[in-house]
Amino acid sequence: MHIPDGFLPAGVCAAGYAVTAASTWYSIRKINQKENFREDIPKASLLTAAFFVVSWIHIPVPPASVHLVLNGLLGAMLGYFAFPAILIGLFFQAVMFQHGGLTTLGVNAVIMGLPVILSYYIFRLRKVWRKDSRLTTGIFGFLAGFVGIAVSVVLFVVILLTNIPADIDVKTEQAAIYALALAHVPLIAIEGVFTALVTVFLQRVRPRLLEAV
Amino acid sequence: MDMKWKLTIPFLLLLLLCLPATAYAHGAKIDYTVNMTIDIVAKYDTGEPMGGAQVVVYAPDDPSNPWLTGVCDDEGRYSFTPDTSKPGNWSIQVRQSGHGDIVHIHIGEDTAVTGGGGYSVLQIVVMAVCGIWGFIGTALYFSRRRA
Repeated sequence: MHIPDGFLPAGVCAAGYAVTAASTWYSIRKINQKENFREDIPKASLLTAAFFVVSWIHIPVPPASVHLVLNGLLGAMLGYFAFPAILIGLFFQAVMFQHGGLTTLGVNAVIMGLPVILSYYIFRLRKVWRKDSRLTTGIFGFLAGFVGIAVSVVLFVVILLTNIPADIDVKTEQAAIYALALAHVPLIAIEGVFTALVTVFLQRVRPRLLEAV
Repeated sequence: MDMKWKLTIPFLLLLLLCLPATAYAHGAKIDYTVNMTIDIVAKYDTGEPMGGAQVVVYAPDDPSNPWLTGVCDDEGRYSFTPDTSKPGNWSIQVRQSGHGDIVHIHIGEDTAVTGGGGYSVLQIVVMAVCGIWGFIGTALYFSRRRA
């Protein structure tokens, strides 16, 4: 789901950077309002490392293969740290592995980063229900993971469909985009289950890690 | 008799001289034109070929309008013959569902015979380890105990 350099018009790339800049500013402002925000940096850094390498873990979904994104998990566990974490992870993925590009970094951050804020809000909703219930954590963990990646796929598809260049066969490309979106359906479920398992596990062994959110 | 031989020998010599001339008449002619074909193979970084991906070729003199468009075969292969009268960097874009890459091939006196992008597994592992160590180092730095 990383859009490479040269695949989007300059206006879209600039708009992506503008939204990313605004989201980063908002996230950092929220982080600054927290007391002892430095305590959360190690957790954010380790989850950024996980996000950075997870794009190499491919899950075969014939005829394509998709990779885990983990943005829902980052949203659930990191809160406002998640957007800057994803931005940093994407930057290193683009520079080192050519996953995505530097001109499209803003757009990719919007695709994968904006839904994490939504995932965070969803996961925070669990506190409205009974506290410390494993079932509640599991359900909201699943929803956070599920919604995070699902919204990313929708954003990815919409941005690509609205920016198909006239040079190529539009119908073939549209069909390819729909096929890729379809291949992500199992991934959406996998990410939901994975996020639920991780959050339930952490609540059991180290609930403090979830308390920050 | 003598007179007869005197006439025959020069005639035979003349015939011998004619033989190579006859052979020349059966010589071959080869006209040639050098056509440089560019073969590309497009694969995802999983090694899976980009079968059915769309290819757009841009000539050096007009980088905004496609010079040629086509589709990769099932093994991600595509071949075309560039116009060698247009030296410079030819750009080939391979695209499928928003994924793909652009390669620039220099056509001229110093054209490279092969080329390509991508890293070996070892390079990827080394880069990934360095990256992860950077993040772990950051985590350790911020989790250190205050003196």
